[in-house]
Amino acid sequence: MATQNDSTAAGGFGRVSRTAGTVFRYLLLAATLFGLVVMTILLVYVANDAFQPLTADTGWHLTYLATLLAPALAVGAYLYRANVEALQTGALAVGLLVVSLLFSGGAALLLVDVVAPLELFAVAVAVLAPMAVVVAVVSRDRALSFTVQFATTTAAFYVSLFGLPGPIGSLLDLPLVVPSLVDVVLYAPYAPDPWLAVTLVVGGPVALAGSRFVAADRGRQTEATVAAAVLVGIALGALVGPLLGVDSMPATVVAAVGIAPPAVYAAGVGVNREHERLGLLLPAVVIAGTGVGVLATDALGFAGPDSWVTWAFLTSPHSRFAEQAGFYPAIAGSIMLMLAVAVLAFPVGVGAAVYLEEYAPENRFKRVVDVNISNLAGVPSVVYGLLGLGIFVTYLGRSAGTILVGGATLGLLILPIVIISAREAIRSVPQDVRNASYGMGATRWQTVKNVVLPRSFSGILTGTILALGRAIGETAPLIMIGAPNVKFAAPTALGEAASAMPLQVYAWSSLYAGEEFYQKVVPAGVVVLVVILLAMNSVAIVLRNKYQTGE
Amino acid sequence: MDGNDRERVRTRRQVLAGAGALGATALAGCSRNTYPDNDASTGLSGTVDIAGSSTVFPIATAFAEIFGKNHKDVGFNLQSTGSGGGFANHFCPGRTDFNNASRPIREPEQNQCAANGVEPVELVVATDALTVIVNDNADWIDRVTVEELATIWSEEESPETWNEVNDDWPDEDIELFGPSDASGTYDYFIEAILHSGDEKLSHRQDYSGTEQDRTILQGVEGSEFAMGYLGYAYYSENTDVVRGVPVDDGDGEPVEPSLANARSGEYSPLTRPLFTYPKLSALAEEHVAEFARFWIENTTNGDIIADEIGYVPLDQETKQEQMETLEAAIVEAQQ
Amino acid sequence: MSADDLEDALTRRTQNAPPELLSRSFFFACAALSIATTIGLVVLLTGEAAKFFSFSAALVGVTGETATVVEFLTGTTWEVTSGKFGVLALVTSTLMVMIGSSLIALPLGVGTAIYLSEYASPRLRSLLKPGLEILAGIPTVVYGFFAIIYITPALQPFVPGLGTFNMLSACIVVGIMIIPMVASISEDAMSAVPEELRQAGYGMGATKFEVSTGIVVPASLSGIFSSFILALSRAIGETMAVTIAAGSQAKFLNPFNPGSYTEAAQPMTAAMVELVGGDITGGGIAYRSVFAIGFTLFVITLVMNIVSDLVAQHYREEY
Repeated sequence: MATQNDSTAAGGFGRVSRTAGTVFRYLLLAATLFGLVVMTILLVYVANDAFQPLTADTGWHLTYLATLLAPALAVGAYLYRANVEALQTGALAVGLLVVSLLFSGGAALLLVDVVAPLELFAVAVAVLAPMAVVVAVVSRDRALSFTVQFATTTAAFYVSLFGLPGPIGSLLDLPLVVPSLVDVVLYAPYAPDPWLAVTLVVGGPVALAGSRFVAADRGRQTEATVAAAVLVGIALGALVGPLLGVDSMPATVVAAVGIAPPAVYAAGVGVNREHERLGLLLPAVVIAGTGVGVLATDALGFAGPDSWVTWAFLTSPHSRFAEQAGFYPAIAGSIMLMLAVAVLAFPVGVGAAVYLEEYAPENRFKRVVDVNISNLAGVPSVVYGLLGLGIFVTYLGRSAGTILVGGATLGLLILPIVIISAREAIRSVPQDVRNASYGMGATRWQTVKNVVLPRSFSGILTGTILALGRAIGETAPLIMIGAPNVKFAAPTALGEAASAMPLQVYAWSSLYAGEEFYQKVVPAGVVVLVVILLAMNSVAIVLRNKYQTGE
Repeated sequence: MDGNDRERVRTRRQVLAGAGALGATALAGCSRNTYPDNDASTGLSGTVDIAGSSTVFPIATAFAEIFGKNHKDVGFNLQSTGSGGGFANHFCPGRTDFNNASRPIREPEQNQCAANGVEPVELVVATDALTVIVNDNADWIDRVTVEELATIWSEEESPETWNEVNDDWPDEDIELFGPSDASGTYDYFIEAILHSGDEKLSHRQDYSGTEQDRTILQGVEGSEFAMGYLGYAYYSENTDVVRGVPVDDGDGEPVEPSLANARSGEYSPLTRPLFTYPKLSALAEEHVAEFARFWIENTTNGDIIADEIGYVPLDQETKQEQMETLEAAIVEAQQ
Repeated sequence: MSADDLEDALTRRTQNAPPELLSRSFFFACAALSIATTIGLVVLLTGEAAKFFSFSAALVGVTGETATVVEFLTGTTWEVTSGKFGVLALVTSTLMVMIGSSLIALPLGVGTAIYLSEYASPRLRSLLKPGLEILAGIPTVVYGFFAIIYITPALQPFVPGLGTFNMLSACIVVGIMIIPMVASISEDAMSAVPEELRQAGYGMGATKFEVSTGIVVPASLSGIFSSFILALSRAIGETMAVTIAAGSQAKFLNPFNPGSYTEAAQPMTAAMVELVGGDITGGGIAYRSVFAIGFTLFVITLVMNIVSDLVAQHYREEY
């Protein structure tokens, strides 16, 4: 091609100068890298302020270099040469381990301070029991009409979760007839210990999904065995935990959320994908290296860095002393807010997207809605805060700064984003597939349920995770609705006021006199916030890559 | 039939194994149910909502922290909104239990509270030395009179450069940082400085106003020709980057801002009392009343108030008066 | 038959069965919520702003202090306590943020887009695109914090007269923040340019540089312009970064004078946050002024979005 050769002396055209082009190319590269480089430098600065790596002994650095860094790099280089796919799997396993451990911390937080394991168990039982009714009803699909099926299912869930007559009855002051299943379990004479409750409720889904993944096509029996093995492994966490100085219940949570998924993934890869098995060397080296490093630095007496991001920082509440100030209530508040936002924004956003893509006829109303949604996506977050303030706090009279109000406001903020990305995902399902479904006589709802949603689910999920990442970092709406500057404990109810991570960092950076707050605790808070965001973003990106290449 | 039998045996065996495992787990993992076990906790529980002055905020937060450590079931929500903002938007509408203020409650606020059925109880909690700060490198200024302060900060005069106020000062633009108008510190400064002469001057508006004292510090720290004013606690934590200017209240003797001078009364007119206003109906609740008692009890605690935070603790006599007011209010509320 | 007509024909028979009706109503309700949000926003902002302005306050039956529209739109001083509500002081600061950040984001964003779509190898692309997404995902509080702790001190030796709070650092971080928006939307537009056009250029002997700048960019101009407007409306709405970095003094500055950028100023969003800190609920003109600013902001971003839509539609090249 004319542009590939260095000089084109093709008759009559003369020499074409490449300089402008090369300069342009490097300018463009510089432009692309500018933002990334500046951000990396700033993040390094913040990480340095937060972790203070230079305060550690040289011996400490050298030990970890020898046990963790060098072997990991060596294995990584080897895999890169030998088998790139294996390297990708290995890196994915390491990433999965890190992210799972992060999320297990959050889950442990919820189960220690917010929801008692027994309550979780009771609700799980109350949700599973009506499922039996649902199965029975669906299996008699032909005999019963849709309305009867729907009514029976709703009634079963209602009675199980709320009892008869339930909250409607309490509004009308009716006496209790049948207690809800939740209450029955909660007040039963015997109940599972916290660790068992966690193993069953949290470990159960992990075991089921994991067994499916590991056993692949090997049959029911293998699946059952694997599931049982996973459950036993998680339950072992309850025994091992106290040996390491951790209560049995949080240990089980960490085992179920943080260790089981990566372990199951590694097992699945090892058993099913021979080609990529070698990649498991990488996580093995990382884990072994970290373990050896910890033991070695302990034995040799090297002091670690004087970091501000410590276990104490993550688990203590705020204090007027910078050294003792902690991030715990803010983390708890953020997690609860995110759950509220997810519950509110995800169904509504996906529902709206489905309507706009599948059901809505192409008329002026739809165009108005389209323009409307893209406008809403561009409205500043501060104005959403005003909306929350004006409607929820002033007009509806709810107390300011609670999880419910904050969740609703942030939910409205990210609703347009969820709708737009869900629409993109649904749009990417080819029309032929839908037509095939209609051609077989399926109704619109059946097509949506069986064809469109499953295929677009990963795209929808990616978009939602990115939107949640945006919501977790928003401060202005929370300030507008009056969230407290300082809270000392994790919020335990939806109606309780909550702080949030970015809000706490903002409060620290502007309300406290001492310089130490500014130089020590604020960078630590920023680092924790950025790490959590990076974890969420990487999950979204990996999901998208996997499913895009998979399709 | 052989295969079926074998399958049935296997299935039966599996069912037995499964049942056995389930039974074992149940025995090992289930125990007497004591739900809800933490409810009958000994001690107080409930929430305390506090808003108001950013000057008093460190005191409220410190005591909330200590009290909360001893009473795990009492939760605190604290906000720094400025004294005026706290009254108008949180306390008088009845949303908060305490309003902190760095100046006494005013009549319009009393009326607003009364209209909403909120009765405030005035309690003094500490004494503050409102400090005028300049940059550490600002060698050109070593004292300031009340008159000069009034000139600098008044709307009517609004000088642009320093030498308009005092010939000895340089010909440089004046940069000002201070609390915003929702702040009690702002109100007190007007009372003490701008209304101190014959003419009642008003506060100029072309300055950087904020509820966040750290912003005032940063602003003054960043410019040699900047001046600001804020509560002593914030100044005392940052004496290495800003300087407190001695104030001459008219008798020719400039007095340095310090806790000793505030306690002795020499640092005038910028010594002021700091208040908190619990609402009467909130005192009916045991945990709120206990917290209020705890706070007033510790108003003489020099370790916390003077050393850690940087205000002047009360003397025994004043504290006694406050305790009596509080006890009377609690009795009235809990009737 | 269009796809929609085909679908309608195939599903007409079962359209009104209970499961269909139920599901359709549920989804419709979800979509309606988004309209309800807009209506709620408009009603709320207009309602409260109406209480703020003199001419409408009487209509709404509100007494107390108000400001006139003329004073609001033409006044150059914003001092809430002394009753001066000239929004121009805030608007010029917002304009400064817009100009400053666009000087950084627009060239860099378009450059990134050209590089990613024309020059980068697929492997490099797969590394850079997630990197840009992460850049976009960092919260604005963190950017504000970076501005005041690291960027301002780094710039102070080089820029004379740079105070602790200044617009320059704020513009820089907002600019960096919106680069990913410009880059991704422009890159989508550039990828939509059909390969044939590029090949035609190469076939005539053009270099890559000439093809990129002479063919691809002009062809995707409507998308690039769209991305500019969207990114700028994001910059205008940016709150925390400017609140932390630019200070809290509302000044009427000239946005086109480079010297103004070393000063502290207060854009509209920062003013709203400051006012709310002191005055959340209750009546009072300060509370209503928050909604007046919010209303102005909403109108500005709405107009920008509509303009972006119209331009994109009008100038879009259909291939």
